[in-house]
Amino acid sequence: MPWTDEELVAKSIGGDADSFNELVLRWERPIYALAYRTIGREEDARDVCQETFLRAFRALPGFRGQAKFSSWLYRIALNLCRDWVRRERRTPVVQPPEDMDLIEMAAAAEPSESIEDLVARKDLTRLVERAMALLPEEQRTAIVLKEYHGLTFQEIADLVGCPLSTVKTRLYQGLTVLRRELARNNKAKP
Amino acid sequence: MTDSFCGYAGDRDQALVACVYEDGGEAGEQALFEEHLATCARCRNELAALRGVRAQLARWAPPEPAFSVIDGSGQSARRNPATQWWREIPAWAQVAAALLFLGVSAGIANLDVRYDANGLSVRTGWMPPAAGAGAGSQTAAGVAADGAAAPWRADLTALERQLKEEFRTMQASSRSQTTPASPQMIRSTTPDADVLRRVRAIVDESEKRQQRELALRVAEVMRDVNAQRRTDLVNIDRMLGFVQDKVGVEVMKDRQRLDLLYRASQRQ
Repeated sequence: MPWTDEELVAKSIGGDADSFNELVLRWERPIYALAYRTIGREEDARDVCQETFLRAFRALPGFRGQAKFSSWLYRIALNLCRDWVRRERRTPVVQPPEDMDLIEMAAAAEPSESIEDLVARKDLTRLVERAMALLPEEQRTAIVLKEYHGLTFQEIADLVGCPLSTVKTRLYQGLTVLRRELARNNKAKP
Repeated sequence: MTDSFCGYAGDRDQALVACVYEDGGEAGEQALFEEHLATCARCRNELAALRGVRAQLARWAPPEPAFSVIDGSGQSARRNPATQWWREIPAWAQVAAALLFLGVSAGIANLDVRYDANGLSVRTGWMPPAAGAGAGSQTAAGVAADGAAAPWRADLTALERQLKEEFRTMQASSRSQTTPASPQMIRSTTPDADVLRRVRAIVDESEKRQQRELALRVAEVMRDVNAQRRTDLVNIDRMLGFVQDKVGVEVMKDRQRLDLLYRASQRQ
């Protein structure tokens, strides 16, 4: 039976470094995905992911368990993403990954998937990335948390510190912009 | 585009979002909106469109990252996925692979190591011995003939003796320990087939990966070429139209000028 997050946190606070590593292994992928979809740069998303766990490690003794460990981690990551956007003083641009993303995609793909499907999927990914880059940060964050991390409206509201109705409005507005952009890009495609 | 009027009394946007994500607030409110949906084409269409957006979003996956782990001191160390598989192979297998590699390299380089009265000599390459063709075979025959006198034989005997002694010591010490051999040790004695299977799997995987990469690149290049061709054709078409227009206007002007000249000449 695997340990729960809370148990691992307790063991980590007690000085068990392996438990913290277990937490890292468990959560690094979602945190990286959150960072990547929020700031859109592979390298920076990796740095944010790493920094999130470093901060979490340092702050662990102060973690009292009022929130879920994952929510706590998400909050650290989102704050770091916000800092990154502020520091860069620019709208985050979602780019395709820097190095050989095609190879990664080919390697990750199922062998049954045809090349045409792969290319089509890659095209769609680019369209979505471009459309997401147009959203204001709050809308993008709400969509990423809801769409890819399955948080409830209430959890998102708690995490970003705004009323539940605001979360829904942000989601609606974001989805509407995405709908328009995706439709336009799909039309523009030869 | 649907411009039909929607008369939903509540907050329509929020109700739509709750419906899209099936993360409704109050049950009554949700039921009310669902009732409304049955009669409102505009809301139905928008709901379908937003669900379509979600379907497209679902296909957006971030690239695979090279993750990092944090050690006990809170320091992070980057894990390189390209080298990870090496760590899963036991050390003895890595050593065996290294030796195999050295052996193959030596074979390819035609490495020739000799230890005779003149000391240790190492020669590589496919060049014949410098001292003439017959000299090599003569030397070999000579070594075979007076092998007992060769200096390396004494060294070899000493080495053999030393190894035997070490082996005996190891046996004695292992006998003195009453614990049975660990499963790891047992496993380490049945090595080669496993390593070979693994290496073969890695090579196969790499081959497949390269083939897919190539195919993908070719498909991308073809698509780019087609797109470029289409753009060029459109440009050429536009330019031709422009040139034709221009030529047409020039021809018309020339004709007018000729007409004018003709009429003037007629008058004279």
